[in-house]
Amino acid sequence: MNRILWVLVSLVGAAAWGVIALNRGETISAAWLVLAAVGTYLVGFRFYSRFLANKVFGLDGRATPAERLNNGRDYCPTTRWVLFGHHFAAIAGAGPLVGPVLAAQFGWLPSTIWIVFGVVLGGAVQDFVILFGSMRRDGKSLGQMAKDEIGPVTGLFAMIAILAIMIILLAVLALVVTNALKDSPWGIFSILCTIPIALGMGIWMRVIRPGKTIEATVAGIILLGLALVGGRYVALSPTLAPMFTHGGLTIAWGLMIYGFVASVLPVWLLLAPRDYLSTFMKIGTIVLLAVGILLVRPPLQMPALTRFIDGTGPVFAGKLFPFAFITIACGAISGFHALVSSGTTPKMIRRESDARLIGYGGMLTESFVAIMALCAACALDPGVYFSINAPLGALGGTVQSAAEQIRQWGFTVTPEQLTALARSVGEASLLGRVGGAPSLAVGMAHIFSGAFGANLMGLWYHFAIMFEALFILTTLDAGTRVGRFMLQEFLAHIWTPLGRTSWYPSNMLASGLVTGAWGYFLVQGVLDPLGGINSLWPLFGISNQLLAAVALCVGTTIIIKSGKARYAWVTLLPLAWLLAVTLTAGWQKIFAPDPRLGFLAHARATAGRLAAGNLDPAIGARLIWNDRLDAALAGVFMVIVVALVIASIREWLAVIRGRKPAVVKETPFVESAYAG
Amino acid sequence: MRGDRVDPREGRWQRVVSGFKRVVGMPDYPGYLLHMAERHPQCAPLSEREFFDAQLNARYGNGASRCC
Repeated sequence: MNRILWVLVSLVGAAAWGVIALNRGETISAAWLVLAAVGTYLVGFRFYSRFLANKVFGLDGRATPAERLNNGRDYCPTTRWVLFGHHFAAIAGAGPLVGPVLAAQFGWLPSTIWIVFGVVLGGAVQDFVILFGSMRRDGKSLGQMAKDEIGPVTGLFAMIAILAIMIILLAVLALVVTNALKDSPWGIFSILCTIPIALGMGIWMRVIRPGKTIEATVAGIILLGLALVGGRYVALSPTLAPMFTHGGLTIAWGLMIYGFVASVLPVWLLLAPRDYLSTFMKIGTIVLLAVGILLVRPPLQMPALTRFIDGTGPVFAGKLFPFAFITIACGAISGFHALVSSGTTPKMIRRESDARLIGYGGMLTESFVAIMALCAACALDPGVYFSINAPLGALGGTVQSAAEQIRQWGFTVTPEQLTALARSVGEASLLGRVGGAPSLAVGMAHIFSGAFGANLMGLWYHFAIMFEALFILTTLDAGTRVGRFMLQEFLAHIWTPLGRTSWYPSNMLASGLVTGAWGYFLVQGVLDPLGGINSLWPLFGISNQLLAAVALCVGTTIIIKSGKARYAWVTLLPLAWLLAVTLTAGWQKIFAPDPRLGFLAHARATAGRLAAGNLDPAIGARLIWNDRLDAALAGVFMVIVVALVIASIREWLAVIRGRKPAVVKETPFVESAYAG
Repeated sequence: MRGDRVDPREGRWQRVVSGFKRVVGMPDYPGYLLHMAERHPQCAPLSEREFFDAQLNARYGNGASRCC
């Protein structure tokens, strides 16, 4: 019976891939992508993750940290489906939504293949191996495991990598929000409202009715809905609308002030309530999107492959290889997850065998979110897609110039269509709103209004923007706080009191430094004539994949040291692929001769324009400095990757050749009291 | 362990609420009281307010790790 079911699942998946492979130029339904993806996930989960669990990791009946160290608080055995939800909510953020939307400029086919096979063979393996390693070490963090298993220098590199990726991540996410909100009174009003709503919830949960989190969250959700509807009236009001209409630079400064203040306020006041709201919205909206796609089954308007695979794409520069694999990190393989998989989750696992569903299965679910985002973006008319995602510098400022430019790229869209679309979602213009969030919101609004009632395009669009902005802002304050703690750990080496997280001046200093760092890149992105995403998103992708390489090195070391070197290919395979991708992309971003692609070439081109007198000297000097900074950052990332891999390989060879004992630093075996 | 004394429907509702709270990452005070009663009956549990602060500090205190 069971066997027949699995044959059936495999056949459905294979048939869906067949439809995808055999389609030649015709439009197919997004449902085929979803079917192919789900079929592959199920087969991967049933067979590959079982192989990993039984043969490679040897999950057994030993007691988990949650059971041994149970304190009813952070160490706490949790039912596996509940923990699955918790883990999924912690790993899935804006990344899997934005990356696939940007990579859609290559067409839907390459992204689909990378998201589905990347996760089954790479991303889910990484999450699972780190969760496994941390679970066997009482919930140790990735950095500590790197230090214990590979060596102290690697541990330091891992720490630097984590801090750097954090700063780039925060900058690029803030840029996504800035681009979604600029000159949008409706969007700004509804997002601003989330701050007093969260503060009110915080005071309610701690001061007025302590611990009553559910009732506060329900009230918060209702108020969010009112803020969303209210935004429409603000946008239509001639007196209120100008008060809430701001350009990119003002919003960027607003975000920096917000990030700084939020990261020094007590957590109960702003961070925790905002986190509850955004988690709630996240799960709800993702379920809604899945239902919407299944109900509407939108046809994919985007071609399977576009001409931009040659590297001339307007959304970001660079060829299909390596840039599709850098642009889509979250959803296929995301190093950031290694931090979650070695954070709260391993301390809550009830039985060792649950780690398979939570680690491997949780990542498959995130991949599914990425597929849905891809469907939403590719269901848009390609002309519309490029009008939103190409930078204003390429499109020109008017709907006429944009339509003409898009025609030259080989897609058709009329100026009237563009004006009508912007009006239908309650915006003055959608041209050049780079960053992925606005086009995803249009795609989602398109699907939602198809499934749950038309004529509400504007409301759905702003709902989607609010949903994305809400959890990006949560990431901003949580991320600034994480960065602050890490920086304070470093600063403690310079002057001990700076490491005291209870000392206000030290907190202010570290928060200010972290906010300043991501704020610098954010402002650079806002002022960039190419829209900023072109330079910042690849840096984010490279740094995220760098962290994945750290995680896979740690995973490989754990496997080899547990005497399972013959199975080390499960992590070596994705590691080799990531190295090829990261190093090629890093090299091209630094040295490529095309000024759109290479940072140094862009600096030279800018210097040329400066010398010819075509550019304001102050602006030119800043652009050149930023290019060199970005190039240096990409260079540092590459050096860290190479150094780390060399250190790991030396450790592996030492163990394999018997110069070092194959001993892992696991907590000793204790039999679990939980029955099967 | 618990369902013997409590109305089973109420027990189920309690489990749904506490499952939801854990998915979202909220402090689950009834679950904590249950744990204390079962495992450490000799210790006095924290008050709801103290527990709330301790949980928030454990979750966000040294920086919540969260994804992109």
